[in-house]
Formats: sequence, structure tokens, C-alpha cells
Amino acid sequence: MKLNYSLVTRRTFLNTLFGGWIASFFLGSLYAVWRGAFPTLGKEPDFVVLPKPADYLDIPTNSTKAFAWGGKLGYIFKRSDNTVVALKGVCSHMECNIVYKPADRKFYCPCHKGWFDEYGKNIEGPPPKPLEFFEYRVEDNKLIVFKKGIKVELPKA
Amino acid sequence: MKWFDERYDFSDLRGFAKKKFVPAHKHDIWYYTGGAALFLFKMQFVTGMVLAFYYVPYFEQAHKSIIEIVTKLNMGWFFRSLHHWGAQFAIGILFIHLFGTLLLKSYRKPREMLWFSGFILLGFSIFFGLSGYFLLWDERAFAAVRVATGGLSALPVIGETIKAFLRGGIDVTGETLIRFYAFHVCVLPMAFLGLVVLHLFLVQHHGISVPLSQEGKKLKQVPFFPNVVYKDLMFWLVLLGIVVTFATLLPPEIGIKADPLAPPPENVKPEWYFLFLFQTLKLFPGDLYGLNGEVVAVLLVTAAILFFFLIPFFDRKSQQGLRSPVFTAIGVAYLAYFVIMTLVGYFS
Repeated sequence: MKLNYSLVTRRTFLNTLFGGWIASFFLGSLYAVWRGAFPTLGKEPDFVVLPKPADYLDIPTNSTKAFAWGGKLGYIFKRSDNTVVALKGVCSHMECNIVYKPADRKFYCPCHKGWFDEYGKNIEGPPPKPLEFFEYRVEDNKLIVFKKGIKVELPKA
Repeated sequence: MKWFDERYDFSDLRGFAKKKFVPAHKHDIWYYTGGAALFLFKMQFVTGMVLAFYYVPYFEQAHKSIIEIVTKLNMGWFFRSLHHWGAQFAIGILFIHLFGTLLLKSYRKPREMLWFSGFILLGFSIFFGLSGYFLLWDERAFAAVRVATGGLSALPVIGETIKAFLRGGIDVTGETLIRFYAFHVCVLPMAFLGLVVLHLFLVQHHGISVPLSQEGKKLKQVPFFPNVVYKDLMFWLVLLGIVVTFATLLPPEIGIKADPLAPPPENVKPEWYFLFLFQTLKLFPGDLYGLNGEVVAVLLVTAAILFFFLIPFFDRKSQQGLRSPVFTAIGVAYLAYFVIMTLVGYFS
């Protein structure tokens, strides 16, 4: 069958062609810009290795010692019953660094007045979750702090 | 003048200035708040340019470079202080402008786009403020940006993406400083300028809004030029005097250099225009009847802001030119919440 007229006018054809061209150009550019502007994300470490374990483990009772957990704050903490634990010193609310108050035997977040007890439980204020605890062991005179459930094998020197 | 006239026909502009009239009535003082904000932002652009010549946006040097600006540079202390106080006043006046517009219902048809563009401009201004004081790279700024970006991550689905985009990584680091610098001196000013042009164009297009209570009355029409312009200039001059006085007598402090591993200072507080959010966050306990209080708080705040933004669509009555006491009450409630929470935050 032969049509006497085209179903698509020349104007429609050109509008679709150029409209499509412009739309795909902008969408593509936008996507490229977004990909470029979005950062490559690092990752929180699975473990950190600290020299001189005694500096961390032989702290006085009821006190903390800070270490760097990647870019975040970590604490080695000796409770009042002399057990030593490692934890992330970051509030579960809005990620401010927390500080230990020995007199109250609690961790405190100055940003929105959140409190955690010695076991990291959120007991007062806005924090919605307990603190995150790590495990640790001493090997070759190094203190290895690692996430729960992670297997760390240091290369043999 | 003749030289220019031969090259561009200025009669259009002259005609425009002659023909533009502004209605006079008992609420017309609100008309000056927009112009005052514009003036302060012009000042921010100029003082910001001067500071940008000397500021080093790298985390090891940022804090030191600001100390050098205020101690070693000619007039450096003055420009930094003026930039600080200019920002405080600009945001303050924008809030006044916002609540004035809200209570006089100037957002009603056909001026919804003015409301939306103005609202986004306020959002930009607050981001200007946050990114600006982060550039100090002191303890307080560091905590503020951690909280602001961390709080956004409580939003479902898009939260983590926004957080990573703003931070330039998983943590607030030197990368974040570079990003915020780029936002503060490039992305935001460009976007801001474009939106201001749109905002002003729409004001010209629609003419200034007349409050519902004055509509239908025979209002005196005052020529825009020179009467209104001179009043604007008078107001700007007074404002300049006030800002310069504050800048001279109360130079802003610079806190201790940020340390990602140090806890924030005791009783740390954000800038005053974040205090109402800050207080709100403190109100919500971590566990809210089995729900995550943080997420509930962030969602509620987001919903409240979204409702505020879309108010022209909800306020059907004033769209039809009728009095709308319900939305006056809502407006007063928003204003009261903002003022009370800011005061509680300030004095607690």
C-alpha cells in the first residue's frame, strides 16, 4: 500500500531528532558530571595495628586511651572492674566523638548530650544505638584491634 | 552620555524607571527586607573575594591562614569580621523576609515561583553559612559539619549518598574541606546569582505583592525611582553602619584547630540559625516507642520543611484571594517554634 502523505511531518521529524539529541546530550553530561563529582569512597578499616601494647593495656583503671581507627576515634578502655575493651569513640547519633567521664563512669557526647554506660549501652539522650565494640589481641609485641568476626593474619617478618 | 545613547537605546530603561510604581500601605516596611538582603549579599561577595585571595583551602594550612589573615594582612581582620557579621545579618534578614512573606501570604497566586525560588535561596544561604564556617577548620566547625552531614544520612534511601557526596568520602576529612571550599566560593555563588536574577525578574514581572488586607483599597502609588530607591539606600546605609560597628567591636573568635580524634568542646553549639534544629534533635530520645528516635526526628524535620516549602499549594483559601486564618496560625506556629527553640538553644 502506498500512502499519499507521510505520517510524520518534516517538522515533527526534525523536532524529535534535535530534541532527542539535546535531551540525550544533557542527560549524558549530567550523568558524567555526577560520576565525576561523586567521590571514590574509602572504607572503614577492618583492623588496625598499634605498636607498644603496654601503652594501651596498662592504663589506669577507669580511664581511656585514644587511637586512630582509620579517620575515626577509637578508645582502649579499662573499666572499673579492670576489664579492658576496645571500642569506637563515635556517638551512634550524629557521629560526634564521645568522651569518657570517669566520675560518672559513663561515655558522654557533647553534641546533643547523649550518655552511654560502661558497656556502651545508650542510656540517656538521643543516641539510638549502643556503641560499637572491637576485639583485640597482642601478637609480636603489637596490639591488633579488629572488628568482631574478622580474621587478621599479620605477615610474618 | 550621548556616546552611549548612540550605541544603546536607553529610553526603554528610562521609561521603565518612570513607569514603575510601588503601592504604599501600612505593611510596606516588609518590602525593604528583600532589598536589604540583596545589599548584604553584595557585600558578602566583595568581602569574600578579598578573603579568597589569602585563604588556603587545605586542612593543614586552613586554620593558620585565617589566623594570618586577621593578624598579618592589611585590613584582614576587618574583612574577615565584616564577612562574618555580614553573613549573620544576611541570614537574619532572610528569615525576617521569609516570615514576613509567609504571614502576609505574598506567596499566593501568581507568586508561587517567587516563594519557591526564595525558599531555595534561603537554603543556599544556610549552606553558604555552614560551608563558610567549616572553612575555619576549628573544633566547633568540625563537629557541626559531622552532625549536619551525619544527620542527613538518617534519611532513608538517599541519605548515605548525600552524606558521601557532601563529605567527599566516608568521614569528614581534608577532602570535605576542599569540597566545602568549592561549594562556598564557586558552586553556591553561581547557583545563588542565577536564582537571585530569577527572583528579581519575577518581582518585576508580577509587581510587588499587596497584602490581602490591603487588596481592593485605593492605595497611594509611590514612584519606584527615586522615592523607593532612596528609602532602600537609606536603609542599606543604616544597615552598613550596624554591620561595620559589629564587625569592628565584636570580631568573631577562631576556635582551636580541628582534630578528628579529639572530642568536641563541652557545650558545643552550632551557629544560631541551626539552633532550632539542634534543639529539636536533643528533644528526641534514642528509642521512641520502639522506633529509632534519630530517624523519626530527621524525617519529621524534613516533612515540616517540605510542608513549609509547599505552603502555596496547601493554602487554598488565600489562593482564591480569601482570608486564610488557618494558615496564619500555621505561620505563627512555625515562627514561634523557630524563635523559641533558637532562644532555648542559645541560653541552654
